[in-house]
This record gives sequence, structure tokens and C-alpha cells, in this order.
Amino acid sequence: MTDRDHRETLTDALDGTCTDGGTPTPFETVSQVTETREDKFRNVYDTYVRAPLSIVWGDWRARIGFAIILCYLLMGTVGTVVIEPTAPAEGPALAQPFETMDYPLGTTDMGRDLFSQVVHSTQEMLKMITAGALFSVTLGTVVGAVAGYKGGWVDTVLSAITDVFINIPGFPLVMVLVAIFEMGENPYMIGILLSVASWSGLARAIRSQVLTLRHESFVESARTMGLPTHVIVSKEIVPPLLPYIVINLTNAARRVIFEAAALYYLGILPFEDLNWGVTLQLAYEAEAHARPQALHWFLVPMAAITGISIGLILLGQSLDRVFNPRVRARHEKTTADDDTLEATTH
Amino acid sequence: MTTTQSHRVQTHEPILELNDVSVTFSMDRGDSRVVDEVTLDIERNEVLGIVGESGSGKSMLASALLDAVVEPGTVSGEITFNPQDEPSVSVLALSKGDRQRFRWEQIAMVFQGAMSSFNPVRTIRTHFVETLSAHDEDIETGMERAAGILEDLYLDPERVLDSYPHELSGGMKQRALIALSLVLEPEVLVMDEPTAALDLLMQRSIIGLLEEIKTQYDLTIVFITHDLPLVADIADRVAVLYAFEIAELGPTEEILSEPAHPYTRLLLKSTPNLQAPIESMQPVDGAAPDPVNVPDGCSFHPRCPLADETCRASDPDPAAVSARHTADCHHYEAAPGAIPIEPPEMDEIQRTPSHHDAADEPLLSLDELEVHFETEQKGLGLFSDPETVNAVDGVSLDIYENDVVVLVGESGCGKTTLGKAAIGLQEPTGGAVQYRGQDIYGDGSDVDATDRFTADEIRRALQIVHQDPGSSLNPHHRISAILEAPLKQWYDDLDGNDRQSRILGLLEHVGMTPADDYIDRYPHQLSGGEQQRVALIRAMLLNPELILADEPISALDVSLRVEMMDLLIQLQETFNTSYLFVSHDLSNARYIAEKTGGRIGVVYLGELVEIGPPEQIIHDPQHPYTRALRWATPQLTYRDDRAQTPPIRTIDIPDPTDPPSGCRYHTRCPQARAVCAESVPETKPGSDAVGHDVACYRVQDDHDYWEDDPIDDADLD
Repeated sequence: MTDRDHRETLTDALDGTCTDGGTPTPFETVSQVTETREDKFRNVYDTYVRAPLSIVWGDWRARIGFAIILCYLLMGTVGTVVIEPTAPAEGPALAQPFETMDYPLGTTDMGRDLFSQVVHSTQEMLKMITAGALFSVTLGTVVGAVAGYKGGWVDTVLSAITDVFINIPGFPLVMVLVAIFEMGENPYMIGILLSVASWSGLARAIRSQVLTLRHESFVESARTMGLPTHVIVSKEIVPPLLPYIVINLTNAARRVIFEAAALYYLGILPFEDLNWGVTLQLAYEAEAHARPQALHWFLVPMAAITGISIGLILLGQSLDRVFNPRVRARHEKTTADDDTLEATTH
Repeated sequence: MTTTQSHRVQTHEPILELNDVSVTFSMDRGDSRVVDEVTLDIERNEVLGIVGESGSGKSMLASALLDAVVEPGTVSGEITFNPQDEPSVSVLALSKGDRQRFRWEQIAMVFQGAMSSFNPVRTIRTHFVETLSAHDEDIETGMERAAGILEDLYLDPERVLDSYPHELSGGMKQRALIALSLVLEPEVLVMDEPTAALDLLMQRSIIGLLEEIKTQYDLTIVFITHDLPLVADIADRVAVLYAFEIAELGPTEEILSEPAHPYTRLLLKSTPNLQAPIESMQPVDGAAPDPVNVPDGCSFHPRCPLADETCRASDPDPAAVSARHTADCHHYEAAPGAIPIEPPEMDEIQRTPSHHDAADEPLLSLDELEVHFETEQKGLGLFSDPETVNAVDGVSLDIYENDVVVLVGESGCGKTTLGKAAIGLQEPTGGAVQYRGQDIYGDGSDVDATDRFTADEIRRALQIVHQDPGSSLNPHHRISAILEAPLKQWYDDLDGNDRQSRILGLLEHVGMTPADDYIDRYPHQLSGGEQQRVALIRAMLLNPELILADEPISALDVSLRVEMMDLLIQLQETFNTSYLFVSHDLSNARYIAEKTGGRIGVVYLGELVEIGPPEQIIHDPQHPYTRALRWATPQLTYRDDRAQTPPIRTIDIPDPTDPPSGCRYHTRCPQARAVCAESVPETKPGSDAVGHDVACYRVQDDHDYWEDDPIDDADLD
């Protein structure tokens, strides 16, 4: 166990300095072992990867959420390679789901494979979601945290901008912007466009939370230690807000999906390839809702949208636990106990 | 505990009889027994003080008296009200409706924290009316009674009843709460830390009021507190709780002068006070046990210097020390000899007061410092000027290297704001703070470029330790991350291993071993004392010149305070720092100042009214306010003059947005004369002692003050 060896050396080094009387005060202690890059990497891995994963794995919501999101990720990456894109009249019109394994989710009235449509629109959707959710949450968090922490004129200016965006009706704005900029091809840009008005609500909420946090003693201590503002905001202010931010991240992602589907459905976003929203629109135009034999044409894209949405909700809720220090401590304690056990039996 | 004998008194008339009362909570880790088979009689018309450290089960015992333990806790045993007369009531067997009537009509409770006991959107009157109507009382006669009680508590009934809770000060709210609990004329009043959130002066005043109320309304009072000296002032008998059971019970005088249980003796020794020599104050080693895992035998044996095999094997029964005095200890006869409370005979230790000549350059120098806050404007605020609160007003003070200054005052007097302005956390609205001659709020242009300190150097030199250790450490970071932050910021040359070994070394230095277990913990996994140590180390890591310690021990248990203060003092000696201490407790101030040869400064409404060595401030205070504070500080000795009238005119602090003219203390000062209301006394030497300054006309023998007429109360209204 390199980890334990490492600790022992450390303690030895410490004892050395104390007993030899070389340095009388512990304020001057330095280690005799230089930290290697490997040590650093292991520390980072342990804190940011292993511990959170072990916590998340203990929660059934997380397992289901992870599994669902993983399915979509596989569809968006591997799926597009494995599943052939669909073309009109490649199969029988309006084949029912599970009727034939060639077309597991059935076909449209043009004979196009619905399963293939779902798979091939996933990648674009995932890009939109990622771009949109990250954009709105990052902007909202940064603006809210800085405005709340700095106060004064910075707060006044940032809050004024936020208020303007809150009061812009988001969906019509997006419709107008899409018409002006014609960026239908780039999913990232669409994602960001869809979130252009939605970050402001989060910014407001974060700001009011930070207003209470900034008076906490630990923030004042950090200021007294002379830590720069960006360190205080990112290390002291944001961590307590992370559960809230993560829930917002998943909600923002869901909103991007819904809005994108809605815009495609309304025919406002131009499209070249089929996707969930477009499929819905085509189904509607073909009056699939009134024809029992075509109902699956509606249901399949709806299920795709609902599925990813549920996956995101479950994931967001379970990630809450990762940021709770009490839950973390319990998990790390079990691993720590294993270590001591090993050490004593050694 | 198998009780054969009990804490019973035969000759008296009990009003409440407790028989093997236990409170149990089921938890993941096992059953947690937070009150363990307590057997106790409460006599009619007595004041019983129940003293225990936090987590000793005292609040649970109080709740059990009303059968008000919260779910999922369960109470077992037997509680009988009025056992000798008919109708006697078995409290735990009451039906829901009967229990509701029993509470408040027979036993009422005053909870800790008056702030949260009132609904903020309702007037005080509504609270009274609700209580009366819930018990089907006649509202009109009930309200008349309420008005009478409020008046007895020195409150103006009309004004208080029509106020919303936020319009009353803490002390007024607490008194209104006492009135509310008395409105249904209960026979027993259970008070759970009723004065913990209040200032010393208010605390003492309320204690005095309780005494009057008790005789007037024929009450039995159960007074629960962690503060042994406080209860000494009011209780007839004291029960000392340790580890969820009663360790000792007896008349106050005997408990204070000849306690028999080792725990009581150690607790008395560890309590800072104004009389005993500070050398005799010793911390109690160890920590109180976890309710799930109470030690076998006598629960105190792991911390007891007298413990032997018997103590480990069997739980002691109450032993009669005298007629009305019992102690649960196998060695109660040996305890007084083994743990002397009287200080050992020793020569007067010559402490070297930090003697500073005028020639010494001060480390930090406050010059006519002013901090004024503008409050929110009322109404639309278009036509009125905003009100200002003068939190700090014209304070001048020099702090030298290796110096200790303790600021004492009531809450809201501006002592913390003064401290924060001094270390650069609160920009003053007037005056200056100079660090080695350089204005810390300026750009450094006031000194030569060669002597100039950078903003970073000044920032590092002035550090802070907060009052509440729970909130001064970010709950989301491990101890290692918390302590690494300042090292990462200021010591670029240290790599991760260096930082870790330094942190480990420091943790061991302050007695947190094994250190490599502690660094991986989160703050919630540490006790309050350990959290405070981490906060202290964090400040020390920057090697500061001055630390503002903002009530660093008031959130800790009484038995831990001396230990923490000793650690603070020891670190000061090791690292040559200066301290600016803020405290509301004169006993703690005295301990720190006397042990370090520092000074005590008394702050009243933003002004420094008296400053000097502890000998002068404690034993020969010159300012009338210092005397009032000294009066208000609870003593560990039994006093016959307990009902003494306070040396102040009114117990409520004036509105800080509209401070009194002249000397700000004149509205409460019994010695105020006409001149005090007109002009502000300048600071003059108060005695021959070095550094003893007082802002009061009474120290100037030749001042016109002595010819003026005393102010009477009518002039002040």
C-alpha cells in the first residue's frame, strides 16, 4: 500500500523534526519527502472521482438515472455508427412497434424507421442540452455569486442586467433570434440561444443565497486571510450552493429539450435531419393522433423526451447527496476504516 | 443506576415527585438514554437549580416534567404532581386533553431564546389572548392579570402588549415571556436557560425579578442552566447533572462551599470567576460521554482522579453527605481532601505586566475611531434623514507587541465592530487605524516608501478568531483543506507534503491526536472545542501580529473554557502575537488579562469608558458602569445580599440610534449629576496604575461635577 507507506514516511519526517529539536515550532515544519506528480494526481482522483462515485453508487435513484443517461449517451455516440440512418420507403408504411425486428419501434407512413430516427437525433439533442444547460447555469451562477458577494455598484449593474433578462419573454425572443440569425445547423448555438433568457432567474436566486452566506464567519475568515475574491467565491461561497446549482443544471437541460422540441414542432427552427421535435410535427401533420394505427409515431419521440427528462431528474436529485458533507464523511469513513484495519493486520 | 436510596427529603412537602424517570431516543447506533433513571423531589416554593454541561440531559429532564419530550423520544418512570394532597396527578398517565390543561395551568415553561418563542407577525397581546382562550379562561380578567404581571416585571403593559416582538429588546421579550407563562397562575415554573441569550446586567436583573415574582405569585421554580455561578444567586437547592443522571444534590450553600462529588469540585475549580486566584482554576480533563455509550459503573470514572476498581464496576447510589445533601459517589468522603477547592498556599506570583513606555511604538493605534451605520429609512424616507447608529464613537487605543487588551461590554455596545474596524474588516467612518504608523485603510502614501507595508503584509498581520466555531469553518471542506487554504495562498514554496506535515504538526501541538485522523474529517465531526482549535491554528498559520478573538470561548462549555483560554495564552507566548479580545463576561476577561498581564477595556454604547490593568478594573473600578458590570457578574460564593438593589437606574439600554447627550451612561448612572447630561467627560487617569484611564467626572477631584445637583429619575423621562 503506497498510500500507507507514504503516510508513515510523513510521520517519521515529522517526528524527526520534533525530536531532533532542529525546528522548535511546528509552524516551520516541512516535509522531507517531496510531493510527486503521482501523489498529486492520486489526491485529486481520490477527492473528486472515487469518493463521489462511491456515494452516488449507494443510491438507487442515482443508479437508474445514470443508467438512463448512459443509454442516451451510447445512442448519441456508438448508436449513430451502428444504426443506419433511415430513408423514406425503406420499410412498410406504419409498421407497428415490435412487429418486426427490422423496425423495432415501427415506421412512419413514409416507411421510415422510427428507432433509427430516435437514435440519430440523440446526438444533436445532447449537444444542445450540454451547451444550453452549461451556458445558463454557469452564467447564472457567476453573475449571481459575484453580484451577491461584491455588492455595491457591481451588484447594482449586474442585478439591473439580470432584471432586464428576467422580464424579456424568453420563448418569443428565441423565435425572433432564430429568425434573425439563421443558425439552424449548429446545435451548440441553438442550445445557447434557447437558454439566453433562462439564466437570469438562477442568477437572482443565487444572489440572494450569497447575500446570506457572505456574512458567515468562514467567509469573513477567508477575507481576513487575504484570499483573492475569485478563490473566496469559488471555494467558500459556491460549494454550499452546489446542490441547488446541480438541480438547476438538470432542470435547465430538461428545459432545453422541451423548448427545442417545441420549436421544431412549431416549425420555427429550420431542420435538415429528423429529430424528436420534427418527428412529432410530421406525425401531427399526418394526423397520427386521430389514427390508432399511427399512434406509435407520436408515442416514440414523446417517450424519448420523457425518458431523458426522468433520467436527468433522478441524477440531479441523487447528486445532491454528493455535496452533503455528512454523507461524504460517512462514506469516506468506511474506506478509512478499511485502511486502518489493513495497517494493523500488516 | 439502581436506586435504593434516593434524592429525597423527608421533612418537606414535595410538589413534584420523580421516580426513575428516563428519556430514551432510538437511534441507528443504538438506544440513546438522555435522562437516566432520575429520582428527585421538588419541594413546594423552592428554587431548584439544575446545572449541567451541554448534552448532559438537563433540557430533556425539563421537558419530561411537562411530558413534553419531542418524538421519537419516550419518557418512562413516574412523575407525580402534588403527591401528598388530593388531587395528585400522575403526569405521564394524563390523557391528551388533561395534559393540555395541566401544562400551563399547573406547570408552565419558559424556553431558551425569547427571540424565537414569539410569533413575529403577531402582537404580544395576541399571544396572551391565545393562551387564555386555549384554556377557556375569561379574557378580560386574564388580561388584567397579565397587565399586573407585566408591571411587576417593570414593563409598561400598554406599550408592551401592543408591540410586535421585534419592537422589544431581548430582555423585554424575555420578561414578556415570563409574564406569558405566569398568566394562567401555574404553581411550578420550569425555566430552561432563560437568560442565556441576555447580557450580564439584564441577566442579573431578571434573576432579581424572579426572586420577587416567586414570593408574590407563590411559585416553585426549576431553573435549568449551564452556568453554575448564575444559579448560585437564586437557587435554594442545586442539582448537578452529569452524564444524564444527578451527580450531586444539596442546598446551594453546601454545594458551593463543600461539594462532595469529584465532578462538582472539578467543575467549580474550572469556572472562571472574579475572586479565586487564577492559578486555582483548572480545566476538567476529558469529555462528557456519548449518550449511546455511557461508561459502566460510575459514569464519571474515566475523568475522575479518585476512580478505582469499585467505580469501574458498580454505579454508586446517592450517599447522604448531610441531611439534605446527597452525592452519587463511592468516595464522597475522600473527595474534599483529594481535590482541594481552596487554592494551594502560594506566594504572590509576580506577574510582569506588559509594561509599555510611551516611547514604545504601538503595533496598532486607533485614533478617534468612529463607525456609524445608517439604518434603513422608515416609510418612504423621502423627507426624513436616515437614522444613524453610532456603533463606535471616538475610541482611541494603542496596542503594543505581545500585548493583550480585553474589551468588555453588553451586546450591541459596539465592541465587536470596534474590533473589526481595528483589524481592517469594517471601514471606519471617521478616525484612523495605524499599523506601525501606517494607515491600514489608506494607500500607504502617509509613510515613506522604505518603511511602507504592502496591503498583503498588513492583511496577514491582522487576523480573526470568531465566536461560533461551527460557522467559522466551512462545513463543506475537510480540516486539511481548511488549513491548507492560507498556506497555499501565502507559502508558494511549500508542496503538498510540506503543507500536510505542517498541519499535522500543528494539530498535535494543540493536542488533537492522532492528527492524521483529524485532517480527513469534516468540521461537523469535531467537537466545539476542537473546531475552535482549528480556527485558531488557521489564524496562527499566517504568523499574525495581532489576533482579534471575538468571544472565542463563549460558545464552549464551562468546563472547557479555562482550557481554551490557557491554549490561547500559550500560543501567544509561543508566537509573540498580540490579542484583542472581545468578551461580554468579566470573569473570562479577568482570567485572560490577569494571566497575560494585559488590560481590560470597558465599552459602553460605542465609547471606551474605562481601561486599565485587571487589578484596577476588577477590584477598584472607577467608572460607575464598570461597577455595575462587576455587580452583575455572578459569583461562586453564596451571598446573603442576593436581593441587593442594582447599582443602575434602568436595566434597559438606551436606543442606540438616539444615544443620550453628554456622558452616554448618565441615563442609567445612579451617580449622574446635571453636568453629565450636558458634556462628555474626557479621559483622565483613574489611579496610579500605569494605563488606567477613565472617562468619568468622578475621577477628577476638582471638577464642577461635585457641585452639581444629582439627576433624579423624573428628569430623564
